[in-house]
Amino acid sequence: MRTLVQAFSLSLFSAFFFLATYKLPDWLPVDLYLRLDPLLGLSAILAGKEVISRALWSLIIIGTTLAIGKFFCSYVCPMGAVIDFLNPLFFRKKSSREMKNEASFRKIKFFLLILFLSAALVGLSLSYLMDPLPLLTRFYTFFLYPLIISLINLILDFLRPLFQALGWIDLSHLSYPQPVYYMSFITFLIFAGIIALNRFAPRFWCRYLCPLGAFLSFVSPLGLFKRRVNQECNECGECQKSCPMGAIEQDPKRMRLPECIQCQTCADVCPKEAITFSAFSSSDRATNVGGEFSPIDFSRRGFLYSFTGGLTVAFLAGQTPSTPLQSKRQLIRPPGALPEKEFLKTCIRCGECMKSCLTNTLQPCLWESGLPGLWTPKMDLRFAPCEQNCNVCGKVCPTQAIRSLSLEEKNHAKVGTAVLRKEVCLVWAQDKLCLICDEICPYNAIVFRPVEGYRRPVVIASKCNGCGFCEQRCPIEGESAIVIVPGGEIRLKEGSYIQQAKKLQLEFKPDPGDDKFILEKSGLKVEEMKDRREGMPPEEKAISAKPKGFL
Amino acid sequence: MTRRDFLKTATAGLAVSLAGRPAFLDGADEYDLVAISGEPAAATKRAIEAMGGISRFVKKGQRVVLKPNMSFSNPPEWGSTTHPLVVSTLAQACMDAGAQRVVILDYPLRPAELCLRRSGIQEACKSIKGVHVLALEDRKFFREIKVTQGKVLERVEVFREVLESEVLINLPQAKSHSTTGVSLGIKGLMGLIWDRWSFHSRYNINQALADLVAVIKPQLTILDATRALVSGGPGGPGDVQKPNLIIAGVDPVAVDSFGVTVAPWYGQNFQGRQVEHLLIAHQRGLGKIDLDQLRIFQGRA
Repeated sequence: MRTLVQAFSLSLFSAFFFLATYKLPDWLPVDLYLRLDPLLGLSAILAGKEVISRALWSLIIIGTTLAIGKFFCSYVCPMGAVIDFLNPLFFRKKSSREMKNEASFRKIKFFLLILFLSAALVGLSLSYLMDPLPLLTRFYTFFLYPLIISLINLILDFLRPLFQALGWIDLSHLSYPQPVYYMSFITFLIFAGIIALNRFAPRFWCRYLCPLGAFLSFVSPLGLFKRRVNQECNECGECQKSCPMGAIEQDPKRMRLPECIQCQTCADVCPKEAITFSAFSSSDRATNVGGEFSPIDFSRRGFLYSFTGGLTVAFLAGQTPSTPLQSKRQLIRPPGALPEKEFLKTCIRCGECMKSCLTNTLQPCLWESGLPGLWTPKMDLRFAPCEQNCNVCGKVCPTQAIRSLSLEEKNHAKVGTAVLRKEVCLVWAQDKLCLICDEICPYNAIVFRPVEGYRRPVVIASKCNGCGFCEQRCPIEGESAIVIVPGGEIRLKEGSYIQQAKKLQLEFKPDPGDDKFILEKSGLKVEEMKDRREGMPPEEKAISAKPKGFL
Repeated sequence: MTRRDFLKTATAGLAVSLAGRPAFLDGADEYDLVAISGEPAAATKRAIEAMGGISRFVKKGQRVVLKPNMSFSNPPEWGSTTHPLVVSTLAQACMDAGAQRVVILDYPLRPAELCLRRSGIQEACKSIKGVHVLALEDRKFFREIKVTQGKVLERVEVFREVLESEVLINLPQAKSHSTTGVSLGIKGLMGLIWDRWSFHSRYNINQALADLVAVIKPQLTILDATRALVSGGPGGPGDVQKPNLIIAGVDPVAVDSFGVTVAPWYGQNFQGRQVEHLLIAHQRGLGKIDLDQLRIFQGRA
C-alpha cells in the first residue's frame, strides 16, 4: 500500500516535471511539489522578508503533518521514493553494522536546518543545497531529462530506416532537440552520493541529513497518529531491526517520535501484531507503552553552534566582489527575474525554469556570482536565444523569483542590450555582406546605416530587449560580434514592465515600416558621405542610394 | 499542304490568338510566366491551371517536396512566411494528381514548433491526407552533394527528402532582404541547406546563391506575392503591401525577376537586373532575367 502511494507520488512528480514545458496551460501547477515544501517556502520568505503567495501552499503540508505526523517522508516525498526504490537495486544485502555514534549523527539534520534558517534570516538562501525537492528536480533537469531525450533520439535513429522503409514520413523525421546544461556532472555526483550513502544505513539521507525531514520533525510529534505498542509485545526486536529510519530504540516499546515517518513497517513485521498506528489508544488493552512525546535530543550548545554557523556562512558568502560586481558582469537573468538581491534570496535553484525553457538558453550558474548565485538561472545567449512567444520560465517558478508574466509583459522585461563589437563584426571589420543579426532581430532593433561606403549594422538600444537572437546567430567563430550586456535591463519587484518601458521611452512593439530610413532617414546624408569620402582609397565602392543588395 | 491552306490556317490561328487567348491554349506549355491576381487560394489554383495543370509537374506515384517559407514564427499578415492557403492549395493539387506523398519542408530560423504553429501552415494542411508538414533542425536529415559547376561552393548539404523525391516545388514568399535586396524563390532555397551561415561569413552570398540554384532545381516556382514585405525583411516586422499576386513559372530566375517588379522595395522600384544574385544566375545561363523576352500570362482569379 505504501509502495503504491509512493510510486504514485513519484509518477506525479515526474509527470509534472515533464509537463513543465512550452505552452504550459495556465491552470496547471507543475511546480506543485516545490510549492508544497515548507522549508523552501520558509527560507525564501525569511531571506526575502516578503510573503510569497505560492509558498503558502506549504501550509497544507504543515497542517497535515500537525494532524497526522511525518507521513510526508514515507508517502509523498519523491526523493524518499527514489531512495526506497533504488535501494534494493544497489544494496541487496542489508547492512547489519550498527553505526557508531548513531545518535549524534541524527542531530546533523537539525543542525543543518538551524544553519540554513539562520543563514536565511540574514538573507542568504541555502536550503536548496539539501532540500530533497529542489535536489531531485535539479537531478531530473540536468541529468535525467537530457538522458531521456538522448535515449529517445537514439531509439528513433535506430528505427529510422524501418520508418523510412514503411514510408512513415512523420516518424522518420522525428527527432527531439537535445537539451544540454552546464553542471550536469556535479548534479549527478551529488545525487549519486545520496544514493551511495544508503550503503551505510537504509535511508541514510533521511535519517541524518535531510533538513526538510528535520523541519517536519518539529511539527510531527504533535500529530494524532502515533505508534502504539500494546502488552502483546514480547520484545522480539523485529520492529527495531526493520525500521527504515532507525526510530525504534533498543527497548522496542520506546521510540524516537520525531524520527518516525509513519511508514508502519514495524506494524507489518510485528509477529504479535502488537503495534498500531491510531489516533487514540485502544481502550481495553490500554497501554501507550511507547510513543509518548519525546523531545528532539538537541543540545543548547549545538543549537548555538549551528545558529552562529549559519550567520557566519551568510556573512562569508557575501564577502566576495561577485555581489557588488553583479551588474558589471555579463550575467543575464531571465526576463521577469526580480532585482538581483531579491532574486538571489528568493530563487530556490530547483531548475524548473531551465527545464521548461523552450530554447535551452537558461543555464545554471556555477560561481559567476559567488556562493549566493550557485545554480541560479542565467541566459547563455551565445548558445540559444530567448523566444518572444514563450513565457514559461516565470509560470513554473515556485517562489516567483522569476515573475509569471503575460507574453506582452514578458516582452517588455528587457534583460539587457545588444552591443556591436565592430572590431570583429564581418561588416564593420571586413566589409562582408552579412546581415544575420538584422535578419533575425524580432524587434527591428538592428538597422543598416551607410558608413564609409557601406551599409553597416547599428543597434538601436531603445528597441533592443536583449532576446539574444543576434548574439546566438552571429556567424563569426568564438565570441559573438554582437553581445548582450546587462546594461539597461529592467528588473521590477512589482508593477508593470510595459509601463516601465514606456517611462524609459523604450519600444519593443514590432513597428512595421521603420526600415525605410535606410534610404532617407539614416542621419547620414548621401551627399555628405561623398564629401567625407574624398580622402578615401578609390577602390571602395561608392555609396548608392539603393538599399543593400540592389545594383 | 498547299500554300493557301497554310495561309488560311495560319491566319485563323493568329485571329484566334488575337481574339483573346482562349482557354484551351492555357493548358499548353505556352507561357514562361503566369501572374494571377486574386485571393491566395483562388489565385494559386488559377496559376496552376494556367501553367498547364499540376499534372504537368506531378505524375502518379511521385514523391513531392514543397518548400514554402515557414522560417519565422509570425502570422501570415506579417508577410514573412508563405500564405498557408497557397501551401495547402498546392498540396491538395499534388495529392489530387496522384502524388504518393507531399512533404512540406523548411529549415526554420525560429523554434520549429512555433514556426509550424504560428505560420498557420500546419493547421491549413493537417486535414489533407498524405501531406506532411515538417520543420527540421537536425543535421542528420541532410546529405552532402557536390556542386560541380560551383563558382564558390564546392559541396553543400541538402535535405535528404529533397534529394530522394522526384518533384520539388518552391513556394517562396515575396519579401525584402537586407543583404540580397529581395528574398524570393532563389534566396528561399537557402532553407533547404544545412550550412547557410557560411553564405554570409565565408562566401559572397550572391555568387553562392547562383551556385545553389544550379544544383537545387525546383521544377516549378510559385511566388506568393499576395502580400509583400517591402521593408524589414526577411523576418519582419516591416511594411506589408498587397500586390495580390501569385506568380508561377518553371524558370526560377524569370519568376524572381518578375517578382522584383511587383512592389517597391524599400520605397523604390527595381528591375530584376538590379538584383545581384539574379543577375549572376542569369549570366551563368540559369534563367532569363529580361521580362520583355518572356511570354507572360496575366490573369485574374
